[in-house]
Amino acid sequence: MGEPIPPGWTYNPSSWGQRLPLVGLALLGFLIAGYLALYQWGVFPTVWEPFFGAGSRRILHSGVSRLLPFPDAALGALSYLADAVTGAIGPRDRWRTMPWITVIFGVAVGPLSAVSILLVILQPVLYQAWCTLCLASAVISILMIGPAMDEVLASLQFLRRRQLSNRSLWRAFWGLDPA
Amino acid sequence: MWARILAIVLGLWLEAAPAVLGYGGLAANGDRVVAPLIVGFAVVAVAEVMRPLRWVTLVLGIWLIIQAWTFGYPPVAALNASGVGVVVAICAFVRGVIRQRYGGGWSALVRTPVQQAEE
Repeated sequence: MGEPIPPGWTYNPSSWGQRLPLVGLALLGFLIAGYLALYQWGVFPTVWEPFFGAGSRRILHSGVSRLLPFPDAALGALSYLADAVTGAIGPRDRWRTMPWITVIFGVAVGPLSAVSILLVILQPVLYQAWCTLCLASAVISILMIGPAMDEVLASLQFLRRRQLSNRSLWRAFWGLDPA
Repeated sequence: MWARILAIVLGLWLEAAPAVLGYGGLAANGDRVVAPLIVGFAVVAVAEVMRPLRWVTLVLGIWLIIQAWTFGYPPVAALNASGVGVVVAICAFVRGVIRQRYGGGWSALVRTPVQQAEE
């Protein structure tokens, strides 16, 4: 069986070579956000901050970080875990056999980055401080968007073809009409 | 690719500029709101399939020029921000190389089969 390349494409966006780096990035983000969440929970007494002095401490105990009933980094860690899991699930032709998972993957990657950018804006504007690991986590989330979206596009094009040939969009979305 | 890298570098510079050039207040906050957005959208637009997002950096560049001259920026900050804005806006017009093919891209999702057949 050859590589399952979508019609009109020059490569397969669901190949392991495309997906594994993203899963790796998501796991790295999960480790960073998880570490920050544990610090916010008080598991670690100090936080690693090589550049901005008290910056990390101020950011990680700020009012914005306590808007939720749990530390904001915990939400980040959970999102990264969702990215890693939805990036790993499915075979290398999942753009047509599991469109639902690529769509969930795309939806999981987007908001994480949007929130990350928002938090990067708020750090200096509200608190005149920066947090190195928070910035690292934001960079990781932004790096994931571009490479993740090609698979989403391939799935949406597949669903569009099914729709145009008057076949069930619903069945195609759940991978019941892949051939 | 170089147009995206230039926009990213200028966005990073804009984030650092208030501290380096020594200004604060609304000018510093204005720069620090736009800078992460420029960097973020330029990074995402590095991906060929997301290249259309470079047009968002055009809007951000124009907005930066407008706020530099309406938010009461001190002169050095206004010159810096509008310079960054002009270059970022120009970079948005550079599409750059697209090496792969993507089945007609995002517009394939909305075009009808007749339109696709005509191409």
